Amino acid sequence: MRNRLKVLRAERDWSQADLAERIGVSRQAVTAIETGKYDPSLPLALRIGRLFGQPVERIFFDGEDEPAEAERSHLPIAER
Amino acid sequence: MSTETSPAQRERRGGYLLAVLTILWIVTYFFARGFLNDPGPSTAVRVAVALLPIPFFAGALWRFIGFLRAADEFERRIHLEALAVAFPLTMLLLMILALLQRAVTLKFEDWSYAHVWYYLPIFYLGGLALARRRYQ
Repeated sequence: MRNRLKVLRAERDWSQADLAERIGVSRQAVTAIETGKYDPSLPLALRIGRLFGQPVERIFFDGEDEPAEAERSHLPIAER
Repeated sequence: MSTETSPAQRERRGGYLLAVLTILWIVTYFFARGFLNDPGPSTAVRVAVALLPIPFFAGALWRFIGFLRAADEFERRIHLEALAVAFPLTMLLLMILALLQRAVTLKFEDWSYAHVWYYLPIFYLGGLALARRRYQ
């Protein structure tokens, strides 16, 4: 699974350690999530979504679903 | 003066306690091994010495479980994967030794369970290294 975690973190000028502290995991966990090697549990993904003020599906997406598509996916079908 | 401690301080103390208990366990194990080479003492004393490492091992295990409970989901996943490597390897080792014992006479000094248990933590540490490498 891919994600926009690194971009969102960079936008806020947070280090991996900063983000790790905010979501209550280790820095290694953040590294593994950012590189797509580890998929977070649903509670952790929801915590990340809440922290960035975005729905989970706008942060995490599978290989076929590009970020732009993920961005649009929360809109009503008629507006896409 | 406040006696409250931060989670990081508690984690550090727990880590020290785990290290101390593990060292005491290893020291008492080797002391017991050395002591039991001498057939002189009475059976009661020998049994008492043979059981000496148990409280330290139990303490270390209690701290290790505490560490795992406090760990985040990623760390737990790594330990689960380490166990998934160590457990089948242990089964394989014991199965092969059991079959070899039927085929040939294995030397007690090298292959009794008094020695084979060393392999279990080695398998676990190997599993930990593999799991950590996978997520790096």
